[in-house]
Amino acid sequence: MKGYRKYFGKKIIWLIITFIAAVLLNFILPRLLPGDPVAVITARTAQGVSEASAVKQIYEDYASKFGINKPMHVQFFSYCKNALKGDFGLSFSQYPRPVSDIIHDAIWWTICLQFPAIVIGWFIGNFLGVLAAYIRKGFDKILMPIFLFFSSIPAFGMAIILLVIFGIHFKIAPTSGGYGFDLIPSFSFKFIGSVISHYHLPFWSIVLISIGAQAVGMRSMSIYELNADYVKYSRFMGICDRKIVGYVFRNAMLPQITGLALSVGTMVGGALVSEIVFSYPGLGTVIYQAVTMSDYPLLSATTLIITIMVLIVSFGIDIIYAFIDPRIKAAQFD
Amino acid sequence: MTTPMLEVKGLSTKYVTRFKENVYAVDNVSLSLEEGQSLGIAGESGCGKSTLALSLMGYYFPPLHYMKGDIIVDGKNISGLAPDEVRRSILGNEIAYIPQSAMNALNPTQKIINFIEDVIHAHNPDMSKMEIYQLAAERFETLGLSADVLKMHSVELSGGMKQRTVIAVSTILSPKVLIADEPSSALDVTSQKMVIKMFRELMDKGFIKSMIFITHELPLLYNVTDRIMVMYAGRIVESGTAEEMVFDPVHPYSKGLMNSIIVPESGVRDNKLTAIPGTPPNLKKPPSGCRFAARCRLATDECRKSEPKVQHFGSNRNYRCRLTEAQLREEHSND
Ligand SMILES: Nc1ncnc2c1ncn2[C@@H]1O[C@H](COP(=O)(O)OP(=O)(O)OP(=O)(O)O)[C@@H](O)[C@H]1O
Ligand SMILES: [Mg+2]
Repeated sequence: MKGYRKYFGKKIIWLIITFIAAVLLNFILPRLLPGDPVAVITARTAQGVSEASAVKQIYEDYASKFGINKPMHVQFFSYCKNALKGDFGLSFSQYPRPVSDIIHDAIWWTICLQFPAIVIGWFIGNFLGVLAAYIRKGFDKILMPIFLFFSSIPAFGMAIILLVIFGIHFKIAPTSGGYGFDLIPSFSFKFIGSVISHYHLPFWSIVLISIGAQAVGMRSMSIYELNADYVKYSRFMGICDRKIVGYVFRNAMLPQITGLALSVGTMVGGALVSEIVFSYPGLGTVIYQAVTMSDYPLLSATTLIITIMVLIVSFGIDIIYAFIDPRIKAAQFD
Repeated sequence: MTTPMLEVKGLSTKYVTRFKENVYAVDNVSLSLEEGQSLGIAGESGCGKSTLALSLMGYYFPPLHYMKGDIIVDGKNISGLAPDEVRRSILGNEIAYIPQSAMNALNPTQKIINFIEDVIHAHNPDMSKMEIYQLAAERFETLGLSADVLKMHSVELSGGMKQRTVIAVSTILSPKVLIADEPSSALDVTSQKMVIKMFRELMDKGFIKSMIFITHELPLLYNVTDRIMVMYAGRIVESGTAEEMVFDPVHPYSKGLMNSIIVPESGVRDNKLTAIPGTPPNLKKPPSGCRFAARCRLATDECRKSEPKVQHFGSNRNYRCRLTEAQLREEHSND
């Protein structure tokens, strides 16, 4: 247990450091964006008001409401205090809607889309990778270029390809939104059916990208593992191929798990872009809108939420990894 | 005479490299191993010892290919069997193997006991995990290993422990033949002694019925084996009892091998250290005639042209050289 404690201790310290850095960057970066969003809102509210002092009054009113007239560090501490309470202030672009309300509506779309897509893509990719390494010959010759293709096009490229082929050319799937634009969210069959049909394209675009990236890595890891001494020894002890492929799958997968912990951020980033392509009502689309409208309370809250999710997921993966790879335990004892 | 545990007749195998070149690493090897007997195979690095070990098991996968010959295990010819049949019924069960790299032979992410379960289930699917654990624990303790090892992963074991664990795992099904490829080369002297002792115990307790022990250190075999074969460039060049081979080698190569030992085992005479000049031939294009001719002090044009025949003398000594026993002894005494 001592070995594990040291390992977890190290991981937790890193988690905290990254977390603090993430919160700081999330706060500062959007505020460095050019443009004055308060001026935009003021202009909107003050339409028809011609008197300069009245406009200035409205502007100052908003500025104190959003707190941007206070010094940066004061803003930061009140931001942290409120964030802990789940209060991220009011959105600029959808004023006076609270940011937390917008995020609350969007986050489940993102989680329900990305989590299954990344996990399923990861498993299928690894499975096909080990199979390609084991079977080689024709199977490998056909699959390998496909994996390489999938892994080298960017996420939005895959999204656009699927959109054009299945949405526009064959017209078998809707091209945008999370459900029919004429429906109101409810637990009716019609609504759920619509959600499912809108789910397909963004889902598969993320799955295919993850399959490609995982399979390429898994294939070379498995080829390496298949040449390991324990494989030869197991064969000469009469153990059947199915079992041995199981050993290889497990051992080749371990570096893939660390790989997942490292790349989950990139994967989520890519998936967020797919959401934008399909105007999916998740966080990706929210971020996009927040950026185009300089809505920095919304932008920093969404990026913060995503950063926290990614940090937690990769921390979780690291912890799981320690339990399934006995070498970690042994290494920490040295 | 009883049936030998292992009989091999004229076995030849080759590697086919990625560039479609043939490497003739085992050429026309015959041997016979009686119950209770242990056989040592010695030779320089690259002479085909490991390849012979693999070839003897009758199960081939690329780049190693079977060419000809018979392998008879306890009266049953396995050369004609389908590969899957060999793997299912012979490997691990009748013939067990300890690889040269036994340190890396265990799956790093599997507990020892789980691997033993897989080995046993491959041959005996009905045995319960409980029975397997009892068998393994008892066997490990008999062999001087703690039963706690079973619950560990190989990364938690020291080198010597790993080696002994692999030996215990390989022999868990009490095979008729154990083939051990350099089981002690990577170990310090203490661990080497423990490993050697372990082999004796395996034999005495009947956990193995016969054994082939491969090494490049000829004198080591003196304490472990009954008979010794010396291998050179894919061929057996001389065989005899351990005693005869260590104290009285006749083939120029065996003689050279004995003289090139750095640390003589106790009980084996002091040697003047002389390395055999030159290097073994390339097995992609083995030389015609005697394969040792290029390095042999006694070689003549005749040696380089025609293949030497196997000659016999004494009770059961064979060597592959054109010269007679008397001529060879005469030459050796001139040194
Ligand atoms: N996978 C392979 N493909 C092609 N040639 C091989 C392969 N493995 C071994 N060889 C060749 O076969 C010959 C015999 O090799 P082998 O490993 O049997 O030697 P060895 O006597 O066991 O040597 P060592 O004492 O170093 O273990 C060598 O010439 C080697 O180059
Ligand atoms: Mg070898």
